[in-house]
Amino acid sequence: MADDDDFQSSSDLEGADCYFSDQDDVLEETVLQVLEDGREEDCHWSVSSVITKESLLAAQKEDLRKVMDLLALREQHARTLLIHYRWDVERIFELLEQKGKERLFSEAGVTTIQHKGLDLPDSSDPVECNVCFENVSRSTVTEMDCGHYYCNDCWTEHFIVKINEGQSRRIRCIAPKCNAVCDEAVVRNLVSARHPDIADRFDRFLLESYIEDNNKVKWCPSAPHCGNAIRVEGDIYCEVECACGLQFCFSCLSQAHSPCSCLMWELWTKKCHDESETVNWITVNTKPCPKCHKPVEKNGGCNLVACICGQAFCWLCGGATGRDHTWSSISGHSCGRFKEDQEKRTERARRDLYRYMHYHNRYKAHTDSLKQESNLKETIQGKISISENKESKIKDYAWVTNGLNRLFRSRRVLSYSYPFAFYMFGDELFKDEMTTEERELKQNLFEDQQQQLESNVEKLSMFLEKDFQDFSDDEVMDTMSHVINLSNVVDRLCKQMYQCIENDLLYPLQRATHNIAPYKSKGLERASELSLCWDSDQSMSVKTYPEDSYAQQNLTANGSGATLPGRHSVILHGSSSDESGCSSRKRARTDGLGGAARFDLNMPAEVVDKN
Amino acid sequence: MLDVSRVQKELMECNRDKAISGVSIVLHDGGSDLSHLSGTITGPVGTPYEGGTFQIDISLPSGYPFEPPKMQFITKVWHPNISSQNGAICLDILKDQWSPALTLKTALLSLQALLSAPEPDDPQDAVVAQQYLREYPTFVATARYWTEVFAKRTSVGIEEKVQKLVEMGFSEDLVKNTLESVNGDENMALEKLCSG
Ligand SMILES: [Zn+2]
Ligand SMILES: [Zn+2]
Ligand SMILES: [Zn+2]
Ligand SMILES: [Zn+2]
Ligand SMILES: [Zn+2]
Ligand SMILES: [Zn+2]
Ligand SMILES: [Zn+2]
Repeated sequence: MADDDDFQSSSDLEGADCYFSDQDDVLEETVLQVLEDGREEDCHWSVSSVITKESLLAAQKEDLRKVMDLLALREQHARTLLIHYRWDVERIFELLEQKGKERLFSEAGVTTIQHKGLDLPDSSDPVECNVCFENVSRSTVTEMDCGHYYCNDCWTEHFIVKINEGQSRRIRCIAPKCNAVCDEAVVRNLVSARHPDIADRFDRFLLESYIEDNNKVKWCPSAPHCGNAIRVEGDIYCEVECACGLQFCFSCLSQAHSPCSCLMWELWTKKCHDESETVNWITVNTKPCPKCHKPVEKNGGCNLVACICGQAFCWLCGGATGRDHTWSSISGHSCGRFKEDQEKRTERARRDLYRYMHYHNRYKAHTDSLKQESNLKETIQGKISISENKESKIKDYAWVTNGLNRLFRSRRVLSYSYPFAFYMFGDELFKDEMTTEERELKQNLFEDQQQQLESNVEKLSMFLEKDFQDFSDDEVMDTMSHVINLSNVVDRLCKQMYQCIENDLLYPLQRATHNIAPYKSKGLERASELSLCWDSDQSMSVKTYPEDSYAQQNLTANGSGATLPGRHSVILHGSSSDESGCSSRKRARTDGLGGAARFDLNMPAEVVDKN
Repeated sequence: MLDVSRVQKELMECNRDKAISGVSIVLHDGGSDLSHLSGTITGPVGTPYEGGTFQIDISLPSGYPFEPPKMQFITKVWHPNISSQNGAICLDILKDQWSPALTLKTALLSLQALLSAPEPDDPQDAVVAQQYLREYPTFVATARYWTEVFAKRTSVGIEEKVQKLVEMGFSEDLVKNTLESVNGDENMALEKLCSG
């Protein structure tokens, strides 16, 4: 019975979204699928790589090299230029065409034309420093490229104040209105003579500028911080997985939240936080049995629960269901659908809360399921090892883990589809973007897909919960075919939902732009190790840039995958110490004003425990 | 930490030509603390501040001159870039555009220049800035009134004037409005009150 259901919905689906007749062969189906995937990847192409403490220098050098070579610049000038243009090499090359070298440089504060010797008198008499008003000997005066000179004590003091203010990346000349950025070698020399620790900090700031001043690189938001940053090439509206295992939205740095847009997710977490403070219902983890009214706790992943009195009911709406055709009645009944009941609720506020609760209950139910199902992982591992060791022809149980992973991903999509729907069809964001009829039409379209996905996800969950280790081979085969089939159906439905969101729902909007990180059938790809791709062309760079022993050491360290603590502490002096690791984390939060709230805002208590 | 020798030189330098420049600096309350000073600027000619003398509280952070001095108007002044509440100043060289090669004198001269040329697009006091942009004549009248009342050492305090006229039997609100409309001139206000 249940079996009929599976195939029913999957073939319905295919009929709906392709133009082939019922007798399509599998090949055509596959071709269509490949085309579809290809198209999807075209517009959402992105590759992510991990930048570790050790590869940061290498990553930065790579870009410095490009600019130095093309514009025949010294490293410090290339760095100033890159910092000003946010490490966007392509943009620098573009602007070079548009503005010409001179304007490109002067806007960034790069002084390549020598003004030296113009202002400083030629004689060997003492000169007056215009900051301390003292007469000092010429040997204790330093002249910058722009031609302005002050005594070394005053320069040093100026540099230290700027470094302490966190302005290491662009310390300007002392002279009023002079836009020139000070020579980093001069800064380093003068500061380290008096405060070696501050000079180290200066170097680290310059190094970390590659992350802090770069739209395509961001610190991993893990807490405690794993020390990594992620670089994305291509579409930056994507979800990434750091080497530390944390998955996050690259754009807003909160947990992966597609198919919600960043704005929707921000509004949603804020709302959940606010509402949970006023209304306590979120913490209610039990529901009364519709028959005996005893509180019933949910303990499995699926949304069909049974009371000890024998009554089965739907966790989502609390309505009684039969035991015999449990999942078909869940998929059949329309509790995923929400109709605004104007007659009963005239008060706007009440209706809003009710509407919110509707979406939140479902969102919460699915995130809870996800949590429960995560526990399933271990149980299932146990079942697999029992199965593998028993007398049976079936030895391969990869389908179970594959099915489980698919279940996690689709469950995730499903739960985030509720906050998406809350905003998509609510008044908050798109009130004037759609007519009432349009909205209703689209809402029906979307909820149809959502319900199909929901019922198939529940079915998949149900099959995966089975005690297949006790089954006969025939029963195992039967379960396997269900799991494989449902995995495919669910994957397809997820894809379809993302397409619907992008093409039918968001694309027609005029005023608002909401970027949704694309759906990945195989789950998020873990960011690759950056140093590896850098190694390949490094042989050349090392040769042309022999004084850079750091890069070379670094290369060896990464290439061999070995850890060379001594060398690393040279490369990122201070960065490996506790104090600095701490400060870099602090900066990640405080630097972009308002960032202070970033972590708190994105992770209200009830969301934080999602894993 | 504070560069005492520089501050002393600055004070001497500044006060040498105060008659010409219209700005001067003394130690706050005649004390001996070099980090707490008191500046004076005269209102620029041809502005609503003409004839006024404005007191500015100056405190020097220990990092001075590598960190900007903190300045605040003690004398109440009606100006888009100066808070009418507490005298806080919105001026770039007192913030991120400060340079250690600038001096207290140049900063005070910049304040004087600010009185001549307000920048209502970057306001400190939104109410004043609105008025400056939308009802310029009212702005000028108010600024002049404030100069008259607060920045002229010889002028009697506004409270006293109000008090006097109220005692003659006029309502306090009416007195205040009338005084303001004639820029604080006591006699003109009385004339107006009697005739109207
Ligand atoms: Zn000096
Ligand atoms: Zn300069
Ligand atoms: Zn990480
Ligand atoms: Zn996001
Ligand atoms: Zn019961
Ligand atoms: Zn179940
Ligand atoms: Zn239901």
